[in-house]
Formats: sequence, C-alpha cells, structure tokens
Amino acid sequence: MMAGFVLIMIAAFFVPGIILRTRSIASGRKGPGLFQPVKDIMVLLKKGSVFSTTTGLIFQIAPAISLATVLCAMMLLPFAEQKALLSFEGDFVMFAYLLALGKFFTIIAALDTGSSFEGMGASREALFSMLVEPAFFILLATFAMFTGYTSFSVIFNHFYITGNNYVMIYSIIGVYLFIQIAMVENSRVPVDDPKTHLELTMIHEVMILDYSGFDKALIHSGMYLKFALYGSLIYNLIVPAGWNIFLQTGLFLAVQSSFAIVIGVTESFRARNKMNKNPKFILTLSAIAYIAFTVILILTNKLA
Amino acid sequence: MVNYLIVLFAITLMYFSSADRLVTYVKLIALQGLLLCGIAIFELKEVNTANLLFIVAETLIFKTVVLPYLLNRIIRRSGVTKVHRLAMPGFYLLIFSIFGLLISVILANILINPFINTIYLAVALFTLVTGLLLIVTHRLIISQLIGFLIIENAVFMFSLAVGNEMPMLINVGILLDIFVGVLILGFFGLRLKPHTNELTMLKD
Repeated sequence: MMAGFVLIMIAAFFVPGIILRTRSIASGRKGPGLFQPVKDIMVLLKKGSVFSTTTGLIFQIAPAISLATVLCAMMLLPFAEQKALLSFEGDFVMFAYLLALGKFFTIIAALDTGSSFEGMGASREALFSMLVEPAFFILLATFAMFTGYTSFSVIFNHFYITGNNYVMIYSIIGVYLFIQIAMVENSRVPVDDPKTHLELTMIHEVMILDYSGFDKALIHSGMYLKFALYGSLIYNLIVPAGWNIFLQTGLFLAVQSSFAIVIGVTESFRARNKMNKNPKFILTLSAIAYIAFTVILILTNKLA
Repeated sequence: MVNYLIVLFAITLMYFSSADRLVTYVKLIALQGLLLCGIAIFELKEVNTANLLFIVAETLIFKTVVLPYLLNRIIRRSGVTKVHRLAMPGFYLLIFSIFGLLISVILANILINPFINTIYLAVALFTLVTGLLLIVTHRLIISQLIGFLIIENAVFMFSLAVGNEMPMLINVGILLDIFVGVLILGFFGLRLKPHTNELTMLKD
C-alpha cells in the first residue's frame, strides 16, 4: 500500500530537474544537473528562517501546513491494483480540499505580510484556484459516473474493465485536463511563470517572496511533490491497474518523466497568457470537462 | 469512432467562445468541416454511394477548403485580425456557452425519439446556440458571418442525425452551404473595395 506514496516521493526528486533540463536544452543551453532543484532544497534546509516583524503566527506555520496537506493528499492516490493508504467513498473531494487547504494557508500567509504586492498575488492565486476547481470536480464526476464508484482506488481499478467502448475519450480528455490543471495549480506557463522577475506580473512567486531558508525549502518541496502528485493521477488514468507490478513501476517513472518533458516543452515554446486572459483560459478547461460529463450522461443513458 | 468526432466537434465549439482572433475562427471552421466529413462517412451507412461521395466531397472541398480560403482572404484584405473590442469578453461568452450546452442537452432529452440519436441532437442544438451567441454578442460583420457558418454546420449536423432515414435533408444542408458561399463571395469577396474599412463596420 505504501508503493504509490514512495513512488511519488521518488518521482518528486527528478521531475523538477527534468523540467529545468528540458527548458535549458530547448533554449540551447547545457543547463543544470537533474538533481539541482533537490540540491538547492538541501542547501535551504540547512539555513535558518528570517521572519519579518510585521508577520504573525500564520506566516510561520503556513509552509509546514502546505507541505503536510500535499503529503496527506498523496496518501489518497493508489498505485496499480493496490489500494491507497487512505481510501474511502468520496475521497477525491478530500483530495481536492486538502490541496485547497494548503493553498488557503499560503494565501492568508501572503496577506499576513501586509505587503500590497503579496496581497495582489494572493488575490490572483485565489481567483485562479477557484476557477480551476470546477474543471477538476467535473472531470472526477465524469470518471465516477463512468465507473460507478467514488473512490480513487476503485475508480482507477475499474477504469479499463468497465467494457465501455468509449474509455479512450475519457482517458484522452482526462490526460489533457490533468496536465493543464497541474500547470495552473503549480503556477506554471501559460497562467503563471515561475521565472518572472517583476512583482507586478507574478502570481505564486510574489506570495512566497518573504520566505527564506527552511520555510522556503518546505514550500518548494511541496510544489515538487504536487507535480509528482498530478503525474501520478495521469499515470493512474492511462495505465490499466491489472498489469504486472514491475512493469507498472517502470511505466510510472516513464510517465512522470514524460509529464515533466511535456511541461518543459510547453514552457519553452508557449508564451505566457496576458493576465486578463487567464480566467477565460481556465474556464475553457471546465467547459471541456463539462462536455465530457455531458457525453457520458448521454452515452450511458443516465439522463432520465 | 463517430462519438470521438462528435466530442471533438463539441470541443471546437467551446473554443469558438474563447478565441478572439479571426484566424482562429477560420481554422476552427475548417476543422469543423473536416470533422463533419468524418462523421458523415461513419454515420451514413444506408445512403447510396454516389450520394455519400457527393456529401464527402462537398464537406471536404467546400467546408474545409473553399469557405476558410474565402474568409482568410477577406480577413487579409480588410486588415481586421481580432474581434471588436466591444464584443462580449470570452469569459462571459464561455459561461453562456456552458448554459447553452445544458439547455441543449435538456431539450434533446425532451425531444428524444427512436429515429434520432440523442447525442447528435444535443450537439446540433449546442452548435445552433453557439452560432446564435456569436452573432448576438459580437460587433463585427465578419464575426456574425462566422456565427452564421456555425449555424449552418448545426443544420448539417442535424441532417446527419436523420440522414439514414431522410437523405433529402442532407441535400438541403448542402444547398445552404452553397448559398453561404455565394453570399460570402457576393457581398464580401467581390464587391468589397480593399482598405475601405467596410468590414470593420459595426452591425448597427
């Protein structure tokens, strides 16, 4: 049962490195090593934290809570035929709101600093998270409707054995949407750009400007784990649960690497959206999920 | 296979609501023509071969090549590349579009009948709603023309839904296609003087 949890941890070590490496190769540079982001975290972990005098308790506990929520969400994801560490009816709702709780604390910590820049970033992050939520829920509702179950473990176990001819529609739309949702949730291009240097154009980066040392390491590791988390969701969607476990382990790492490469390539060749185009972009994701939901309603004759 | 194409067709409709470059509209129109051709090939099994060949050729040549070419030419000649700034923002249009899909599904479900596939009916109604929305919310004549083309695709889609029983309806759809082509040619393609901003005029 621990396999999924451990594999996501392992993937989190190399996914950010592959993204960086892809970006550097695409732009004609040699780029840092695969484990550079992890090494940076190790350096940060050895440092102490400096807190501004205007901040309070919330600012100090937010990074720990944010990391803890991601770790808890990891426990809800299954691997192969094994059940997740925590599995119950409707656990995908818990999954979404655990991640939302982490984000909520990051947002109020940003407001806690009293900086107008951070307040602006927090407001944008809250808006985009709110808009991406329907896409995630409608997609999961589609899978629940398709398989007839409401728990991650059972949904993914039954996804390919329902005998339904249209399973490919949902896996293709699901993979596309999960990649886009991962990009929005992790504040990457086209919605946000982690490499931007101007506070006015930042979203997530401006919220964590005041963190340093140990706390910054916690925030970064949370973000890397979140990448691997979404990679794991995509993996569960495209690989049938019944396959050989060793093959699945290899495939898991392959899918995570491909996911990282896709993100790297997208970030290299795609321009960032204008800020006022972002809500429309994110709502389009919900609309596509809604089409998938409608089609499953009609195809399975569940519309009375 | 038909269902894959229909889902893709519905997704292109959502992109109509969120796009704001006229070139994107033209690409989407061409893609819709291609998808309709695919749907016609897979769906019309009981129609005689000559008729089917005619339908496929019409969708491929007319919808996918000729109409987009004419539209591209018009866009180039008029120099208008984006929708008017007074058009309804894509965000609200998308919300309306989502409601449109909901209403179409409900309507399709009310009109359910053994001769018509519900999914065709739902997507055809949704196409109709999207076309109407585009016409009502956009300010430029060219956007409205594209809205009209979408409505025309809706008619074609609906005629495919009943095509096996009533092949006549498909021919009516095709006639509408040709009518639109002549309309574009006549009003916009030939009579338009370049750089006179006639296409940038508002609808009122």
